[in-house]
Amino acid sequence: MAKPIPKIGSRKNGRIGSRKHARKIPKGVIHVQASFNNTIVTVTDVRGRVISWSSAGTCGFKGTRRGTPFAAQTAAGNVIRTVANQGMQRAEVMIKGPGLGRDAVLRAIRRSGILLNFIRDVTPMPHNGCRSPKKRRV
Amino acid sequence: MTYLLYPPLILPCPCGWRNHILAPPSSTATTMNPVQRRGLSGSVQPGQDFVGRSRSRSVRCMANPRRVKMVAKQIQRELSDMLLTDKVLQFAVLPEASLGADRYLSSLTTISDVEVSSDLQVVKVYVSVFGDERGKEVAMAGLKSKAKYVRSVLGRRMKLRLTPEIRFIEDESFERGSRVIAILDKIKNEKSLENQNGELSDSSAHDDDNWDDVDPDEGIIYVD
Repeated sequence: MAKPIPKIGSRKNGRIGSRKHARKIPKGVIHVQASFNNTIVTVTDVRGRVISWSSAGTCGFKGTRRGTPFAAQTAAGNVIRTVANQGMQRAEVMIKGPGLGRDAVLRAIRRSGILLNFIRDVTPMPHNGCRSPKKRRV
Repeated sequence: MTYLLYPPLILPCPCGWRNHILAPPSSTATTMNPVQRRGLSGSVQPGQDFVGRSRSRSVRCMANPRRVKMVAKQIQRELSDMLLTDKVLQFAVLPEASLGADRYLSSLTTISDVEVSSDLQVVKVYVSVFGDERGKEVAMAGLKSKAKYVRSVLGRRMKLRLTPEIRFIEDESFERGSRVIAILDKIKNEKSLENQNGELSDSSAHDDDNWDDVDPDEGIIYVD
């Protein structure tokens, strides 16, 4: 999971506490995990190191309102505002899961002015692996 | 008063009540046609004639509204899952998915809402497609052509007495909402820019003039 990335040392100065990454990344990847009850939006760089994230729950929605498309939209808006300051212009979107957040986040990204390179669907699909949970009876 | 002579009937009811025992018509939940009792109960007395009362043989049950909501939610889950996993449906929605291409999509289909009628026979599925015009048409046409297939798969997956008829409807509310928010954002940005300029040059009278220039139809921001 963690790729060994050599740190260009600021540690040697003896500074304690994390230094804010001031890297300007023109291109990034936005991961959207859209489940039925929540939506999590994470922005990483091309290699996968997380820059910032937000979710419907952290935006102040609680309970059933987290699953709504409006909450997904606010979460996306939050993330994009943080990241636009770092100068990101193009992005690729990776969508995981069913849920209403898929559409809402895409529209929010398009509205914000960030170029969408690609849209990929990376929902995990087993090649018939683990046994799935039992059917819900309704 | 003749129906009181007949023993209570057990009739199958499509809304999922396994054994619905017919009570005398004081029960509020069902509207049962009295003709139904004729076939299964005891002998018909010779003097009586039931022909005049045979209107429609269909049994209609109104299910519990809570159950209707639960069924709607379950159908939404099943359909979304099918869109993700079922190859036939994906190919119908996105014809280029069959080529592989490592899932680089041109349009994304989402099921935004499911409405079930109160007798659980008709299901309206609202579908929202993200993408250009052609992608939308292709997706909707593909879904509509696979309605029967979807109905059969849903019947296999869910335990319902009668699988409902499925209708796919295009949902435009996402787009409308997105457009409105884009316009509002643009207005807000322009207003804040005006405020900044106004403070710098110390003239605030310009704010009112520019409101006329904002044309609502120009607010659509296309990003490519």
